[in-house]
Amino acid sequence: MADEDSTISKILTDWRVIIMLFLVIFSIASIYLIPPNFDKGLEGNLQLGLDLEGGSWIQLSFQSEIVRYSSDMPQAQFVDQLSKKIDAEVIPVTADKIEIRKYYSEEDLQAIFDEFGAKIISYDQGVSKETAEDIKRILEDKVNTLGTQDARINTLSGLNEVTRYIRVELAGTDINTAQDLVSAQGKFEIRIQTEGNSTAHVLFGDAVTSVSTPTQNPPGSQNWGVGFTLSPEGADAFREASIKYDAVKNPQAHPLVMLLDGEVVYSAPLSESLAGKLVSGTVRDLSASTGSGPEALEEAKLLEIHLRAGALPVDVKIAGSGSVPAKLGDYFKIVCIIAAILALIAVAVTVYIRYKEPSIVLPMIMTNIAEIVILLGIARYIQQLDLASIAALVAVLGTGIDQLVVITDEVLHEGKVPSPNVYMKRFKRALIIITVAACTTIFAMLPLAVMDLSTLKGFALITIIGVLVGVLITRPAYGKIIMAILSKKPAR
Amino acid sequence: MGKFTYDINKYEPKQMVALPLGLLIISIIFLAFNTFSTGMPVEPGIDFAGGVAVTVFTTDSQEDIKAFFSDYPLKSIGESVNDGYYLVFDYLEDDKFRDLTKKVLDKYPDAKVDQIGETFGKTLQSQAVWALLIAFILMAIVVFVAFKSFVPSAAVVISAFSDIVITAALMDVFGISLSLGTTAALLMLIGYSVDSDILLTTRLLKRKGNLDEKLRGAFRTGFIMTTTTITAVFAMFVVTAVGQVVIIRDISAVLLIGLFVDMMNTWMLNAGLLKWYLTRKGGYRNGR
Repeated sequence: MADEDSTISKILTDWRVIIMLFLVIFSIASIYLIPPNFDKGLEGNLQLGLDLEGGSWIQLSFQSEIVRYSSDMPQAQFVDQLSKKIDAEVIPVTADKIEIRKYYSEEDLQAIFDEFGAKIISYDQGVSKETAEDIKRILEDKVNTLGTQDARINTLSGLNEVTRYIRVELAGTDINTAQDLVSAQGKFEIRIQTEGNSTAHVLFGDAVTSVSTPTQNPPGSQNWGVGFTLSPEGADAFREASIKYDAVKNPQAHPLVMLLDGEVVYSAPLSESLAGKLVSGTVRDLSASTGSGPEALEEAKLLEIHLRAGALPVDVKIAGSGSVPAKLGDYFKIVCIIAAILALIAVAVTVYIRYKEPSIVLPMIMTNIAEIVILLGIARYIQQLDLASIAALVAVLGTGIDQLVVITDEVLHEGKVPSPNVYMKRFKRALIIITVAACTTIFAMLPLAVMDLSTLKGFALITIIGVLVGVLITRPAYGKIIMAILSKKPAR
Repeated sequence: MGKFTYDINKYEPKQMVALPLGLLIISIIFLAFNTFSTGMPVEPGIDFAGGVAVTVFTTDSQEDIKAFFSDYPLKSIGESVNDGYYLVFDYLEDDKFRDLTKKVLDKYPDAKVDQIGETFGKTLQSQAVWALLIAFILMAIVVFVAFKSFVPSAAVVISAFSDIVITAALMDVFGISLSLGTTAALLMLIGYSVDSDILLTTRLLKRKGNLDEKLRGAFRTGFIMTTTTITAVFAMFVVTAVGQVVIIRDISAVLLIGLFVDMMNTWMLNAGLLKWYLTRKGGYRNGR
């Protein structure tokens, strides 16, 4: 008995083992206790991907391109002329880069650039990061108004800072609803206050032909506003209503009210100068000011979204979509759990056949389980588990046991544990083999982890984390455990 | 391990490398021929080619299903033992796709529907090629840095390359299409294959002792390593094949094929090359 006690205390006082045990406890706590989450059963705080949870995803590609160019013209002038020529929004990104919000192939675009004596230096389909963020905000806004549950919206940017795709994931929503949501637009209306609290209809959102991003008016001041353009018919209706209800003579008593789906989103009187212009003729380019300061900028951004009534600033095309019914997700979950448990049992049996020695096989399997638990605990903070990442989990389980075999065989030369000195030498050699192998796996997975092949990121990340956990924590700990246990055994 | 009859020390290097090299050459020719005639080395799945995939669970017969979807370009029907079907359609335009989803969900409310656009598939394709290429180069760099010796490093890299190429050729033979999942599996093979190769090389180069003994010891360890992985992956394959979890089934099938191919490449090709290198130099007694 005394012998066994000393073996256990030897194991429990080794710092590698302490770290491993601490991480196992921390991981279990992360999954179930931080915050407490018992009603979800086995999965606790783990983030599950759509294919296990049920729901739909839609991936959109932007019909737009980012072009780096060279031209003798000043940028403002170039952007203005190009925008008029192709009748689309063109937005400067940096001094020599512009975003063209209409789809053109590189050849077609070069032909247009030739007319201005400009040259295309680089051409990438997609939008700038700022525009991508705007689009993300608009989509989030739409999802929120529909009150759908749990949405994840991710922009997928390449290494060149150009965002080509955006992915919308809606848990618990079927594909038809998701498709409708992305293409749906809200009803936008401008009304004018007549007598007291009553208002009269002026125009609907279809009369708004374009909306600009928030701008300072005058430029350089902190006064923010959003410019928008009306169709000729819309401009006529706007002028008629302003005159009919006396807004041009007494703007303060007859403010304009903007409504989105029946809710007031903006209200302000006509400016003196606009009132004056409307008396003499129609005005198509308008600006709604939101005041000054950073708050006003936020407000302007929101107003821009409302003015667009949920329409995105850039045309989008569905690049891919998919759905998993909740029932099927539950079924996949069960299949995955069975697969993982059976894989573990299979591994245990194989190892047992080889070593036929419970004091080796048990620590091996326990270490392997610890590795998986730690991996899940870490994953809970950074990565949702989808089917691909579960495959990676089982694959890691496979390599994990692989490497425990390397350690065991390396140190157990001729069936017995050597003296501590020789042991450490062999143990180090085993760790070198493992580390080199781990490095190759990590490097092999690295390209997948950084590329925007969204659905494979999970697979790559789980593999990389799993390998790291193994090399840094569980395999060194296993080496010390097996040493302590077997040094007590007589040679077989 | 008494029943296993491969005695690694019985064969000459030339005999050891003959089979794997032969298979590698046949596979390269096969993949080149595929690329030449279809544009892709391995039949691409919907991830890369674009298209629609539908998973349904129903007792309807194949004929019923064919009749039900007669208006749509149904490309293939995969069946599993669990009343499940995996249907693949050619790429459909937006409106037609929406019609199809409605039709599917009306009849089979629990179906899983996935669609990938053609252009997006092309993007994924080129990214996957890059991922494979970069991963392979990074792996080779790690190996060369670790061993700092040309022939042994090259042997590891060649056998990892051969793993991927032969596995890819076998995928086509077994009708497993190239998807995001199977590409990930091919990448994972790089990691797996190098595992046992590194064990072999380290044992042979850095340990003192008799070459035959070192080789036998490395083989014993390496064999059990690979078999444990194979059993884990095999369990995953069986469960997901029965349960019709297509993505994991395909990943594990590719890993499984790859692991068997890797056993051959490690213990015939890589071991053969190393043996040749060490006996030729005649300096193995000193470890290097």
